[in-house]
Amino acid sequence: MSEANHPAPASELSPKFHVAHHFDSADTQFDANKMGLWLFLVTEILLFGGLFCFFAVFRSWYFDAFVAAHNDLDKVMGGANTIVLIVSSLTMALAVRAAQTNKKKLTIGMLVLTLCFATIFLIIKYFEWHHKFEMGYLPGKFFGHPWFDLKETSQATVGAAKEQGIFFTAYFIMTGIHGIHVVVGMSLITWMLIRTAKGQFSSRYYSPLENVGLYWHLVDIVWIFLFPLLYLIG
Amino acid sequence: MATDSHAHALPPGHHPGDHVPHVLPLTVYFGVFFMLVIFTVLTVAVSYVDLGSANLFIALLIAACKATMVGAIFMHLAFDKKFNAIIFALSVVFLAIFISITMFDTNYRNLSGRTEGDKPADVVAPFSGTRQDAEIKAQWAPQAPPMTPQHGTLPVPARNPSINQPPPPAGIEGPAR
Repeated sequence: MSEANHPAPASELSPKFHVAHHFDSADTQFDANKMGLWLFLVTEILLFGGLFCFFAVFRSWYFDAFVAAHNDLDKVMGGANTIVLIVSSLTMALAVRAAQTNKKKLTIGMLVLTLCFATIFLIIKYFEWHHKFEMGYLPGKFFGHPWFDLKETSQATVGAAKEQGIFFTAYFIMTGIHGIHVVVGMSLITWMLIRTAKGQFSSRYYSPLENVGLYWHLVDIVWIFLFPLLYLIG
Repeated sequence: MATDSHAHALPPGHHPGDHVPHVLPLTVYFGVFFMLVIFTVLTVAVSYVDLGSANLFIALLIAACKATMVGAIFMHLAFDKKFNAIIFALSVVFLAIFISITMFDTNYRNLSGRTEGDKPADVVAPFSGTRQDAEIKAQWAPQAPPMTPQHGTLPVPARNPSINQPPPPAGIEGPAR
């Protein structure tokens, strides 16, 4: 691979970086940073795990309704979203690697690409949700009725309509909270973009970039589980 | 690994004691990406084959493989301190216990026999066995459900002079005067 920029002179790599006084070495600081971030990622795993448990319980209660309702989800859009997120994960990992090897322009380019793919994900998600709203596949007691035509919602509180409504409650809440995580991730990536442009990251110091990268990979992992459970298995 | 700084010469631009990053070759990244796409296609393809309850298991298995690849390579768990991988694995183990015990609970409810509340013992002669089932059933028979008012037929509450009630609106008993 060709290098568009040369490694910076000795005095200019991450000039503002210094090891915090309570760490005995840069390696200790690096390891502590990673461990702290993994503890945070565990809380995110537990958050989505609780939602998956909710989905599991109601799927066992209303199996037929869930299988029937999941056929209303578009597998093509869901599969496209999966590929989009996997590509964004790759570009994010490559951005961190570019920072590790002192390639500032490549880092910025990869971060911009990650943002682009995240935007594509949100756009596809918007079309999916809009289609659901149009068809009346709304969460909970509103299932079965088009937008704003909610005079007869009581009909959706019994029988199969209620059970399918619960499937869409699970769908909207889980993809919604995942979508919020995507938006938060995009804002974090934008912040990292600004810091990279300021020249703060290099092979000496790239921890914030790596942290945002780990968060983004977790968002991807959650979607890797969401996609088959919601779209393929029901 | 994280403690490389003493083993090799200083990378260009580094001060002594700096953390030396562990850089993976590009082929590894693209290889993992390729495998992730393959597994995605695989999971979509398998979903079209009806294997009954094995469908869920296979889907979770493929998803777990993809997550492991992302975690080990993209998130560097395979090359970090092992403790980070232990943290991650423990959270997954906790989730597995959490969800499986919840499913055990919900799947096997209402399978036990009648409880004490269904068949209370006779406090006078608990072991005599002489109480008839019919008596017990009569005692524990469900009460008749309260009358649910139909629309437009709200029952008129009885007037209780001991309760302060607002005067009836004019027109029922004539003007107030």
